[in-house]
Amino acid sequence: MRSFFLILLVALLVDFNVRGQQPSPEPQATFNSATISGLGARNIGSAAMSGRVSAIAGTKESSGKITLFVGAASGGVWKSDDGGTRYRPVFDEQAVQSIGAIAIDPKNTKNIWVGTGESWTRNSVSIGDGVYRSTDTGESWTHVGLEKSERVARIVVSPRNSDTVFAAVPGALWSDSPDRGLYRTTDGGKTWSLTLKGPNLSTGCTDVAIDPSKPDNMFACMWDFRRKGWEYRSGGDGPEKPSASGLFRSADGGNTWTEVTPEANKGFPKKPYGRLAIAIAPSNAKRVYCVVESPDSALFVSDDGGATWDKRDKSNWMVWRPFYFANLIVDPKNPDRVFKTDGALIMSMDAGKSFAVVGGFQGSHGDVHDVWMDPTNPQTVFSGDDGGMWYSYNGGSKWWKGENLPVSQFYHVSVDEEDPYRVYGGLQDNSSWVGETQYPNGITNHQWENMYGGDGFWMFPDPADRDCIYAEYQGGEIARVNRRTHEGRNIKPRPNYKEKLRYNWNAPIALSPNEKGTIYVGAQFLFRSRDHGQNWERISPDLTTNDPEKQKQEQSGGVTVDNSSAEMHTTIYSISESPKDKNVIWVGTDDGNLQITRDSGKSWNNVVGTLPDLPKNSWVSWVQASNFEAGTVYATFDRHTFGDMAPYLYKTTDYGKTWTPIVTGKDAKGIRGYAHVIREDVMQPNLLFLGTEFGFFVSIDAGKSWAQFKGNHFPAVAVRDMVIQGRENDLVIATHGRGIWIVDDITPWRALTSDVMSQEVAFVSARPTQQRIQGNGGWANGDAAFVGDTLPDAALITYYQKSRHLFGKLKLEVLDSSGQVVDELPASKRPGLNRVTWSMRAKPPRVPPAAQVAFNGVRGPRLVPGVYTVRLTKNGEATETKLTIGLDRRAKFSEADRKAQFDAAMKVRALFDEESALMDRILFLRGALAKTGSALSESESLKKTVSDFDGKVDAVRKQIVATKEGGAITGEERLREHTDQLYGALLSYEGKPGDYHLAYIEALKRELADASNEFAGLVAKDLPALNDTLKAKGQPTISPPPEKVAVNDATANFAGGGGITGQNDPDGPAAKITLPADFRILH
Amino acid sequence: MYSRLTIVSIASALAVSAVCAQDKPQPTVDELVAKNVAAKGGADALRALQSVRFTGKMLVNEGQIQLAYVETKKRPGEVRSEVTLQGMTAIQAYDSQQGWKVSPFQGRKDPEKMSADDTKSLMEEAEIDGPLVDWKAKGSTVEYLGTEDVDGTLAHKLKVVRKNGDVTFVYLDPDAFLEIRKTTQRVEQGAQVEVETDVGDYEKIAGVFLPFSIESGRKGDPDKQKIIIDKAEGNIPVDDAIFRFPTASAK
Repeated sequence: MRSFFLILLVALLVDFNVRGQQPSPEPQATFNSATISGLGARNIGSAAMSGRVSAIAGTKESSGKITLFVGAASGGVWKSDDGGTRYRPVFDEQAVQSIGAIAIDPKNTKNIWVGTGESWTRNSVSIGDGVYRSTDTGESWTHVGLEKSERVARIVVSPRNSDTVFAAVPGALWSDSPDRGLYRTTDGGKTWSLTLKGPNLSTGCTDVAIDPSKPDNMFACMWDFRRKGWEYRSGGDGPEKPSASGLFRSADGGNTWTEVTPEANKGFPKKPYGRLAIAIAPSNAKRVYCVVESPDSALFVSDDGGATWDKRDKSNWMVWRPFYFANLIVDPKNPDRVFKTDGALIMSMDAGKSFAVVGGFQGSHGDVHDVWMDPTNPQTVFSGDDGGMWYSYNGGSKWWKGENLPVSQFYHVSVDEEDPYRVYGGLQDNSSWVGETQYPNGITNHQWENMYGGDGFWMFPDPADRDCIYAEYQGGEIARVNRRTHEGRNIKPRPNYKEKLRYNWNAPIALSPNEKGTIYVGAQFLFRSRDHGQNWERISPDLTTNDPEKQKQEQSGGVTVDNSSAEMHTTIYSISESPKDKNVIWVGTDDGNLQITRDSGKSWNNVVGTLPDLPKNSWVSWVQASNFEAGTVYATFDRHTFGDMAPYLYKTTDYGKTWTPIVTGKDAKGIRGYAHVIREDVMQPNLLFLGTEFGFFVSIDAGKSWAQFKGNHFPAVAVRDMVIQGRENDLVIATHGRGIWIVDDITPWRALTSDVMSQEVAFVSARPTQQRIQGNGGWANGDAAFVGDTLPDAALITYYQKSRHLFGKLKLEVLDSSGQVVDELPASKRPGLNRVTWSMRAKPPRVPPAAQVAFNGVRGPRLVPGVYTVRLTKNGEATETKLTIGLDRRAKFSEADRKAQFDAAMKVRALFDEESALMDRILFLRGALAKTGSALSESESLKKTVSDFDGKVDAVRKQIVATKEGGAITGEERLREHTDQLYGALLSYEGKPGDYHLAYIEALKRELADASNEFAGLVAKDLPALNDTLKAKGQPTISPPPEKVAVNDATANFAGGGGITGQNDPDGPAAKITLPADFRILH
Repeated sequence: MYSRLTIVSIASALAVSAVCAQDKPQPTVDELVAKNVAAKGGADALRALQSVRFTGKMLVNEGQIQLAYVETKKRPGEVRSEVTLQGMTAIQAYDSQQGWKVSPFQGRKDPEKMSADDTKSLMEEAEIDGPLVDWKAKGSTVEYLGTEDVDGTLAHKLKVVRKNGDVTFVYLDPDAFLEIRKTTQRVEQGAQVEVETDVGDYEKIAGVFLPFSIESGRKGDPDKQKIIIDKAEGNIPVDDAIFRFPTASAK
């Protein structure tokens, strides 16, 4: 019966939502970031795997305090004031989040310089927009130029002058550009001049070093490089091909430069070069280290300031992947000790003659990009790699893992149907993970589990088998992973005889929305399996251009071959089966084909030629079949690999015959960044979500206008994927640099219409509220761990305001079905959508005063499910809406059971009230007795008579409440404490109470009656006798206490309070609802 | 009592003028502070407000716990905040010299002296006018940092560095020039502590606009301490003794 009711309820609610999906007319009211961002978003991380750190800078004060700045490859700048215990993101308000370099002014450590745009130029690298300066230790930033630099590899502040700063700008990765080289400012960033320029439009600067003792002496490394979608070169087009890379010296502070050559500088290697890195030993400027990528890559060391060189180490980790690891860090005190970053972190103690592996792949994650050493104690070594931050206190030998940087770089995300649902996704160099979306007391790193290996990309729970997950690593290495045994069966489709399958680095996996268990994988052919990968059908011909010029990855890399599948091209990149017709499948390729089949793969049609104004070979970054019409599809195109950073979004409604450009380079509609993903809402066809390299954008009018989402400080981070959890109406966002974010219940976005937005204030519809079961969980994590926000244990109330409310009370009340106000809530004031939480609780009991707070009595019982009214009063005008509250769908009890629990709790609340009323009378009488007693002299026997009577009255008080004060664990339990324990037991489970609970209510009532009778006896018999004595002695008599003593209403209804732990058992389970022992009013 | 209609119409007029704000030169600190003072009711009204008492409620733990709230401030720099539960009152107070507190919820009701670092927040709270008014006299420095999005409002951002080095970022509504957010950064026990406080629901009390809604917590915290003020009284008689550390006889 209950189930039937629930189904009916759900059906009604769904029906309500469906009817709510009428296409909204074009909004006339202002639609912007403020309109949508009030829904907020919660970041669930994770910092378990963290993400790529590209740069580190730090200072140490004489007090020992270490301030660190960590630059994330695509997640902004993070500042720690305590050597890495806690971090705060301090770059969230800026326009880009990719960090290339951080420098601290040696003369004034308040001056921080940040170069944006990472220089570790892997295929997935982001872009920057120039140089930023802070003069207040990173708390606020000013953009100071070089906006066309795209990426900055190193910034060095002159040790002589805080306003003289050099920026090593490698520049644009994907295209020619004159905006590259070594730049210098002498006025603190107001103006910049190019002091060292490459001879062509692909050569920039990657490193610069200044002699700290003679700042006129400098070195700079120039780098000739280029990446395309299908190939890469560090240096020239091959190991021996000409390259403009080189090492340069200046003896006049960068005014003039001389190239270091083997002819002029004995021992320096022959050209051509790829990427170089340079470092001068801080403690001995004659000692210079330079790692040179060349056909004979090695470390070169000079002991005469760069005049002559000696070839040293050329071990694997010295020369591996120079484009990703060219960085040398010399000990601040010992010129012979030098670190070289690479796949592993290696360290030399003998000036580069030999190296030992000290980090990466052992202890720490690996793929190290930067190292910072404590200048006063170089045994303290911090490193940043593809897995975040690592901390060594024994010279770099052993490592602590940083657990507090949620800069994780997800490529994709999916969700399951569990309750609460979980998220799934793969990350750059960080495998594929499953995470919880709700957990008591927050989502810690422990709520995330690694399920595979390698770099992670697409990941899905198998909808036909709850035990299994599909995950992959680079190049289409797809596996079916058993989440319980962690067995990962490789099910990658294999080639035919003498055939090569081309799988993208980020090879697409797609689930059929129509058939549970049907899965697609794309190489250049589309494969389909209907039996969990036991068998695959090849359901397409080669859908790509199959351009042989874009298939020369074995020659890719430039000086050093680098064929990791990162440049694999002419591949399928996006797959989407229409939810409305399983025979309609769309495929987008990285080389610009957009293919459709309408017969389940029997025949294919490339429709890309019908897209207006789309340049040829544009990478199809996403194709998304509509949830509403079989002929409708959205496609995004990403042209950043051609140097075009504009977003492109198109739509067809006729299976690709004609297309509407929604967003293009010519008409970007306020959207910044190349487009990664388009999603259409599952309920409201006009509601579109676009993820770009610079953030998350929403349209409520089918793409005519867009607004950037900034809820909860959501930064301009790359959004690579999004998914809607249909049951919860949540939007889950995969960022490439800041982990997973959840916008809980996007129903209000569906409800935004021009009518709503034209009103001063209006409620908007939301999903039905559940009273979620309240669990306990989590444990002390320390301060050095990230904890993601979980779903609030509350009803979400959402309303729209045209403008910020500033004057007068914005009053938000909740009324029950009888029209009685049951709570007043703090209203949110912002313009646009606002969201407020309501705990759904009745007023707490009035608890008789005692030695300590009654822990459980701090809360009222949660009100029963039903329909409540929410009333918002603004400027004297009230607006109302209904709030429907139901049980947790997981609850094993009925609404009748829930009502029984509530009634029992209310009975105990009433018992508390009765105890309080009796206590009021006792205290009233004792007050009168104290007054009478104080008027009598010590010698009078009457004083003792009064005191004796007071002792009898107080004895009754001590039956009701614990009275031993002082804060100790007294173990004292009286009627009030027993009532509180029973109240807590009843609140701990919202189903039907046990008979023993109900029986105990009666027992406690009897105990209260006993005390009450005893007190009544004292009032009826002893007090008149005392009054007779008083009267006989000529003293004023004492009035009996009234049946109901007036109390201070202002505070009587505030129970609450700091039960801290289970007060009588501090070692017992941690209380879920507490005030901390050091509860403070925050100011 | 102020007229709500008047305020709304003034705000609307200012909103229209703000459309063109981008073309204007950047405001100076002095201009913004002057507008802030004027928006609050003017320097004279501010000076005339010698004491104020707020009464309302505080919500913590997502509103599951509600506490009665009373705060009393008196010039030149005294404050006493109280929250009450089950008849027990926690106190935090500062008398211009010493910060102290009573934390009774676990059974110990003796007053305790607060550390100098813990007192810093009370010293700031004691300011009836906020950090911008008379900033020079207080020994602070103020810098204008342009505008920044504060939950949908492009607010003027001012950085106040106090004499002790602690920082408050003050965000002013671009139309009304009243505070809508304050972010404080203090060093307490050697560690930096950041608290973001959103304020609103301004009401005019004794000629001065004061916020009746205060929400404080870490930046971006979805579960902040929230205070709803029901009543504020200006220039009430306040005995200085309530701010002082209680002596044994006064306990």
